[in-house]
Amino acid sequence: MNKCNELDIQEMLPDLLHGKLDADARAQVEAHVVSCGECTEDLRVLRTVKSAAVFIPEIDVDRVVRQIPPYRGILPAAQTPTRSRVVSWLVAASLIVVVLGGGSLLMIQKSPTLSPVAGVASSKSPTGALTQTGRPSDVPATLPIKSSTVSQTSAPHALALATAVDGLSDNNLRQLMDDLNNFDALPATEPGPVISVDNGDGLDQGSR
Amino acid sequence: MTPSPDARPDETDMELIRRWKAGDSRAATSLVGRHSQALARFAASAGEREEIEELVQDTFVRAFASLDSFRGESSLRTWLFTIERRLMLDRRRVERRSRETVPVEESDHVSEYGALDSIIADEAQERVRKSLDALSPTQREVFILRVQQGLSYKEIAVVVGSTEGAARVHYHNAIQTVKEFLRDE
Repeated sequence: MNKCNELDIQEMLPDLLHGKLDADARAQVEAHVVSCGECTEDLRVLRTVKSAAVFIPEIDVDRVVRQIPPYRGILPAAQTPTRSRVVSWLVAASLIVVVLGGGSLLMIQKSPTLSPVAGVASSKSPTGALTQTGRPSDVPATLPIKSSTVSQTSAPHALALATAVDGLSDNNLRQLMDDLNNFDALPATEPGPVISVDNGDGLDQGSR
Repeated sequence: MTPSPDARPDETDMELIRRWKAGDSRAATSLVGRHSQALARFAASAGEREEIEELVQDTFVRAFASLDSFRGESSLRTWLFTIERRLMLDRRRVERRSRETVPVEESDHVSEYGALDSIIADEAQERVRKSLDALSPTQREVFILRVQQGLSYKEIAVVVGSTEGAARVHYHNAIQTVKEFLRDE
């Protein structure tokens, strides 16, 4: 038997069985089936399947209808939205509380890292001298700050020092500015060991 | 309830649904009468052997309970087939689970075949039934909906939750299998 290449017509065979084709399509399909062995066989199989009697119990329509609940319809629009609006507000309020609470917790967690810097920046003695390094407050703040004396971890302190420059002389300020310009904020390599610079004022006594 | 005349043959499903929503219980009777046999036939052909009437009843109960969600984009019958198919899948899932725990007894087979002997009228129909059994569940559903119920591929795709193209492929594979089975017999 030759294979049928008229896929469209093959697909319409069940429609032919159920009388769902218009006159033109029906005539076209019927004309093809007459000359096509495969479609003739298909149609025979489809007729057999369609007419195959399977056991179908008689459905008691009244019994089925008795089980169907009465129509309740859609609830009036005024009832449901009111309730859902209240729920929506409650959900929104809860979300705000959660977000604010979470934010507060985050702030609390972050605050210990901020406070030392703020503390250093504000830890000026009444005379205006810096007490951050443990140096006596009566020592004038005239020492030059070398970038080489500051390890990477002490960078915040250097910045804090820069905020308290009122007591520095013009020369010291200029030197500080130069140091800051040469300051490598982001070293490309691992930080080297801290090199103490002995400038004779006992600043680095702790590291000796 | 307002008594009303039975449904006219030309009265559409949507008109009957409107009447039922307006409180006319006879409209429900008309709808059930119009579609129950097709649902029962689909269930039987798809392999359901027991409690088909309960299945059809459950289908209508679910359908009427959610008629507001039926927008008439497909025919009511297509929508009913969709609901019935889901119920059948649920049943099969439950059966599969119980089969895993409860061993099947020999008497089950005997009673099933005994019942089938009285169901199948003649040898040709028995062969058709066997050929349908050779199909995969989805192929069988597609083939039955197409051949016995005359649904379009688009409607079948809605029922089986697939695409029109996939429904066509299932149909072609199914008819090839059925033909080969009937040739070999």
